[in-house]
Amino acid sequence: MEQKLRQEAKALLEQKKIDWIIGFEAGSLKFTTTPLITKDAADTERLVINPFITNNLASFLTEMKGRVAIVAKGCESRSIVSLIQDNKVAREDLVILGVPCPGIIDLAKIERLVGKERDELDDISRDGDKVSVKVNGKKKDFTASDVLFDHCLACELPTPQEYDILLGEERKPSPELKVSGQNIAALKELTSTERWASWEKELSRCIRCYACRNVCPACFCQRCFVEETEPQWVMPMPRWQDNLIFQIIRNIHVAGRCTDCGECERVCPVNIPLRSLTREMYDIVDELFKFKSGMDKDALPLMVHYEQEEAEDLFR
Amino acid sequence: MKLFLRLCYNGTSFDPRSEMSPESEWEPKLLGFLCRWCSYAGADLAGTSRKKYPANIRIIKVPCSGRVDSLFILKALRLGFDGVLVSGCHPGDCHYQTGNYRARRRIAIIKKFLEYLGVEPQRLQASWVSASEGGKFAEVVTDVTQDLKEVGPNQLFERKKNGAKTKARSEGAARAKED
Repeated sequence: MEQKLRQEAKALLEQKKIDWIIGFEAGSLKFTTTPLITKDAADTERLVINPFITNNLASFLTEMKGRVAIVAKGCESRSIVSLIQDNKVAREDLVILGVPCPGIIDLAKIERLVGKERDELDDISRDGDKVSVKVNGKKKDFTASDVLFDHCLACELPTPQEYDILLGEERKPSPELKVSGQNIAALKELTSTERWASWEKELSRCIRCYACRNVCPACFCQRCFVEETEPQWVMPMPRWQDNLIFQIIRNIHVAGRCTDCGECERVCPVNIPLRSLTREMYDIVDELFKFKSGMDKDALPLMVHYEQEEAEDLFR
Repeated sequence: MKLFLRLCYNGTSFDPRSEMSPESEWEPKLLGFLCRWCSYAGADLAGTSRKKYPANIRIIKVPCSGRVDSLFILKALRLGFDGVLVSGCHPGDCHYQTGNYRARRRIAIIKKFLEYLGVEPQRLQASWVSASEGGKFAEVVTDVTQDLKEVGPNQLFERKKNGAKTKARSEGAARAKED
């Protein structure tokens, strides 16, 4: 898969069919990867595809000029389709190199299971449903559902729907919603006061670094409401009240664009369970309007379209 | 609208409860966003036809229910209003053709999402009131006020830790507790 990607990317750049390629290269830390954006054909040798390609590359698309080739897992392809729906990128300017994705390994989960830092691990390898971790010469086996990201467990589209070149065998989706939705189910058991209190607790950790917003492919406003000063909707100081309002509004803004790619939760430096917000919003949108974001590039965006009769039970 | 923006400029220093005298019984404060073409005229009609409805509502005139941003609702709750009412033309009657359809989608999402987060569902209500429905407007405001009386004062954004409350807010809370 990796070899094929390198060949295709090189050919596309050399034939001047594209100006840029967005992909992944090996990161500076063990097991990590980092986005690679280049117009140099020689750099394509650095492109990688492995079980650690976490970033959602679609977030770079709105800043790119010219024709772009992008390496896209299922979740990226959905984000791209969502951007096409919103007229943020043009389909004809894109070459989508589809990667059928078996799920991305969450290093934090492995660290927790093994009880060691990632630097102390010798090797992590994946074979089908089995993930083996080598520590001090000893091999430990885990099932994939134990070490994959929660959002990967809930994945509905491992193989991109929208692509120009598919780099591997198509994969069938097998969402394990029970495992990935544990947090939300637990929250729903609580009373409303307890739920609010739990969000107060979580959001009081927030340092307002805006990593969640910056990494989000659906957050493409030129100017974010948190930076407005006239009127100042939320205080820039990290107080839980304003942090919570920021997250609520952010989720409402990306409703119908958010594809539950889980990037916000992954990048959060203080581990706020943001996916419990985004996933619930995703489910609300699906339940009320039968709308799944990023599935159909010809569909109208959620907030543009409407039906004559819908959600009437919520109105007096 | 100007009033609301002024409230927003003042940030959190504004306390809707400060308008009440300490002795009075706690009364919910309701903020209403009424569409200029239907609901506002409906409220007008309720007044001119001498329908009685609680004076708990503060009305802000908006051009269309589609103008109501999710930020308005959250900001109102943050400022300490006990509830928000959004009211517009009946579906199909929008002066701008589709404004209230969009509002319907948006409000539905906000309502469900806030409910999930732990905001009592009664705090955000929405209704369709046409210009000829003065009676319905009075009814809606009465019902919503009744709902808010049942759920009690809005303490969502109160600071609870170590008694580190601001003066105005702790007074408001104390007042609410006495009731």
